[in-house]
Amino acid sequence: MPQNETIQSLGLDEYKYHFVDDTKYLFRTEPGLSEEVVRQISAQKGEPEWMLQFRLKALEIYRSKPMPKWGGDLSGLEAVLDQIYYYVRPQEKMGHSWDEVPENIKRTFERLGIPEAEQKILAGVGAQYESEMVYHSLKKEWEEQGVIFESIEDGLRKYPDLFRKYFGTVVPPHDNKFAALNSAVWSGGSFVYIPKGVELKTPLQAYFRVNMERMGQFERTLIIADEGSRAHYIEGCTAPVYSTESFHSGVIEIIVHRNAHFRYTTIQNWSTNMYNLVTQRALVHENAHMEWLDGNLGSKLTMKYPSCYLVGEGAHGEILSIAYAGDGQHQDTGGKIIHAAPRTTSSIVSKSISKGTGRASYRGLLKVHKGATQARANVECDALLINETSRTDTYPYIEIEERDANVGHEATVSKVGDEQLFYLMSRGLSEDEAMALIVRGFIEPIAKELPLEYAVELNRLIELEMEGSVG
Amino acid sequence: MGEWVRVAALEDCPPGSLRSVMVGSVPVVLCNVDGALYAVEDRCSHEELPLSDGELEGPILVCQYHGARFDVTSGAPRGLPAVRPIRTFAVEIRDDGIYIQGT
Amino acid sequence: MTNEFGFTTLPQAPEGVTSTLNRGMVETLSAFEPAWLRERRFRAWEVYESLPLPTTRLEEWRYTDLRKKLDLGALAWPAKTQCADDWEACPEALRRAMEEDDPSAGRIWGVDGQIVHVDLEPRLQEKGVVFTSLREAVQRFPRLLEEHLATQALPPERGKFEALNAALWTDGVFLYVPRGVDLELPVRVTRWVAQAGVAFFSRTLIIAEAGSRISFMDEILSHDLEAQTLVSRAVEILAREGSQVHYVGLQRLGKGAFFQASQRTLAQRDATLDTLNIGLGATTTRVDLNASLLGPGASSEMLGLYFGEGDQHFDHNTSQDHLAPHTTSDLLYKGALDGRSRAVFRGIIRVHPGAQKTDAYQKNRNLLLSPEARADSLPNLEIQADDVKCSHGASVGNLDAEARFYLMSRGLDREQAERLVVLGFLGEVLARMPLGSLGQKVTRVIEEKLKKV
Repeated sequence: MPQNETIQSLGLDEYKYHFVDDTKYLFRTEPGLSEEVVRQISAQKGEPEWMLQFRLKALEIYRSKPMPKWGGDLSGLEAVLDQIYYYVRPQEKMGHSWDEVPENIKRTFERLGIPEAEQKILAGVGAQYESEMVYHSLKKEWEEQGVIFESIEDGLRKYPDLFRKYFGTVVPPHDNKFAALNSAVWSGGSFVYIPKGVELKTPLQAYFRVNMERMGQFERTLIIADEGSRAHYIEGCTAPVYSTESFHSGVIEIIVHRNAHFRYTTIQNWSTNMYNLVTQRALVHENAHMEWLDGNLGSKLTMKYPSCYLVGEGAHGEILSIAYAGDGQHQDTGGKIIHAAPRTTSSIVSKSISKGTGRASYRGLLKVHKGATQARANVECDALLINETSRTDTYPYIEIEERDANVGHEATVSKVGDEQLFYLMSRGLSEDEAMALIVRGFIEPIAKELPLEYAVELNRLIELEMEGSVG
Repeated sequence: MGEWVRVAALEDCPPGSLRSVMVGSVPVVLCNVDGALYAVEDRCSHEELPLSDGELEGPILVCQYHGARFDVTSGAPRGLPAVRPIRTFAVEIRDDGIYIQGT
Repeated sequence: MTNEFGFTTLPQAPEGVTSTLNRGMVETLSAFEPAWLRERRFRAWEVYESLPLPTTRLEEWRYTDLRKKLDLGALAWPAKTQCADDWEACPEALRRAMEEDDPSAGRIWGVDGQIVHVDLEPRLQEKGVVFTSLREAVQRFPRLLEEHLATQALPPERGKFEALNAALWTDGVFLYVPRGVDLELPVRVTRWVAQAGVAFFSRTLIIAEAGSRISFMDEILSHDLEAQTLVSRAVEILAREGSQVHYVGLQRLGKGAFFQASQRTLAQRDATLDTLNIGLGATTTRVDLNASLLGPGASSEMLGLYFGEGDQHFDHNTSQDHLAPHTTSDLLYKGALDGRSRAVFRGIIRVHPGAQKTDAYQKNRNLLLSPEARADSLPNLEIQADDVKCSHGASVGNLDAEARFYLMSRGLDREQAERLVVLGFLGEVLARMPLGSLGQKVTRVIEEKLKKV
């Protein structure tokens, strides 16, 4: 069914939802959440009945689950959830070339350097603006090898069987309150399939942009890395700063089949009025490798713990996490590794920096199930405190049911040493520069895992953040 | 092999429904999958919460708390966050009701 | 009270009130006590009634399900012990435990929740040292006790069990060491539990005045108990300026015991307040230990050792509160677990705002000796000052690799080698505090357990 017919069939006046403002919106739901909103989203997408039922069931689960009492301060969130727009459609049709993207939106992504990066270092790009993917493109050579890189909506439409086989199996709606919310109102995100034995030489990237005030973004990504494949997916996100709070809650499901390698990188730089509550989880089969590289720099509050379920013998999971918490920010991040098969190995490395009144918390679970013999796991957490008012916490859970396991956890907290600062200043650096240099050295082990362009970007961000941090 | 214990009348567990029963000191959930009866331990292998609060989708029992899925015919895990099986019990329908064999 | 439909609703029955543990028992215990103590017991009882029993939904009780592990309703009140204050009248196991000890500055022994014997070197009595039963202390030193008993360190508001103990304690120990006095030798308390199916509540209050030095050895033991028996203990230690206190708790209860210990140590300026908790017995052990570093220069070493077998369950919940600058705490808890035993360690370092130049460390290491054993470790940090040195670590491992090394290098058989590895692993904890013969006693008990395995 064409989209305009859908709108008409809902009895909605097209003009009423065309906003003559800085940005024009084709359609948006009323603020707040209701069954009607969920039905409208589903209808906008022309979805099959089973997906509508899945959404409605998820709404029920969302309503039945209490607000989490742990992690960050969510006391102000209910009010935000009552006021935000759950679905905003910026344009009629998704583009496969930048020429098809409306000028003002294209300008935004140009300013973010996306088309340029696509030319230089990426295998494919997806760009989401408010609730919908406005652009999705994959280089021809990869398309020819059978790689699928589509918007999640196109994935459901074009590959219904593959989609349904995996959707919601890694992160079921019951998993947590926000996974349930996402399952009810998801919109945008990517559907990725890497065929057997295909090795993507350059990364795929999805970029998420929230532009409007009081916006809720709920992207959903499903990735299947088939046997022996290899790929790297990068996710970036930004939004303008508003005086009101916005909300972002994604769900990322990844299935890494036998012998496959998959890396998922997040560079999260939401504005500091954003609540960012994300569920990211990978199911890792025999001898497969999954790596989460999770950089959290922005947002007001982030609660995010990428996880690896190592269910096949010899599976390997890795989480590299870096968090930066500036004034008023709380990064509650970390990771979970579940060893559920023999000879599985894992490592978590977490580095956090707290500055001003910022708070960085590491929260992690390391579980070795009975029968996961010869599991090896190691966790290292380092926290750096910049100011007297900064705060850091470490909350690891270590649950071992198997004698034949070797598990270690170490964490240290330190401040930037005066000696280091004085030394660097005696070499002619300003205090800010010296601080930035020390912080860069601290996060270097993670930055070096990024493609060069992103590492440069990360360093630039740190330099900006360190301006005026001393004295 | 353990004793057979009568746990319910047949009409107590109609098709598609779950019923929580005790077999000795072990909580068990009785599942009616389109007329065929199965019994599994009433404790999710993920966080040890009761499965009888969940619901059946065909032969799949979905945990109410975190969405873990189990095949009640074998006890095998069929969806995260569960990765370990749950115990199963033999079930018999006799003239006077449903019986489960303890362990 | 009425609800929104206008029906009268009965207030919910408070949790944990039983035919034994109830207001009437508080009445009986306090019948002949001074008014302040009576009031204190009743206030504690009110707090007890107002608090729910902890469930696994609480972070601090996540791994110990009281509904499964403790049946408060089945507990009776112990009968008065018939044991006389006479060495020969001592139960044999109690006597043997005491015979193994080095010389003491003073000694107390007790049976079934009552203090039976007290002695203290005359030279220390002359210097004003008090080492006596809590009951007697209530009569002789009312002002000291009114000020410090269940007030600063373990007021009832700290939790359900803290409130229960403050309401129902039957006896305990009071140690007061005046300014500058060095006890030189340890004081020892040895307690024996004979009755099963009952609940025991005892308290210990230690006050170390400025510059004093104390070593306190606190041992409790029993045979296997045929019915569940609750052994509840509260320990409050106040270390004033520059004092030095070592507290060692050795728990060797038999099967059937539920050992619940609440401990809090308050260290003032430049005080050293070290604790060592050794858990070798009881079916379930739950220890809550808080060390508060209140004055600059205060330091606490916190050591723990446990050995589990059968279906033993150990749950250690520790916290290190740094409330002043230039304070130090260093925690090391190590355990070896055999059979189907399980250990939980949850620890938190809290560096409060302004507690600059804090050094705080925390380590939990577990050795799993059997395929059915299980260890959960949750070492937490909450740091709100920037000029600190803090670290924590946890590990769980098995014997094999290390044992093989010993086998190869020393020519021992596997069993001997494994015993050496376990003792070496746990011995690191014992070596960190001067223990004298107590260290040998602990080693001997662990060796016996390993032989059974």
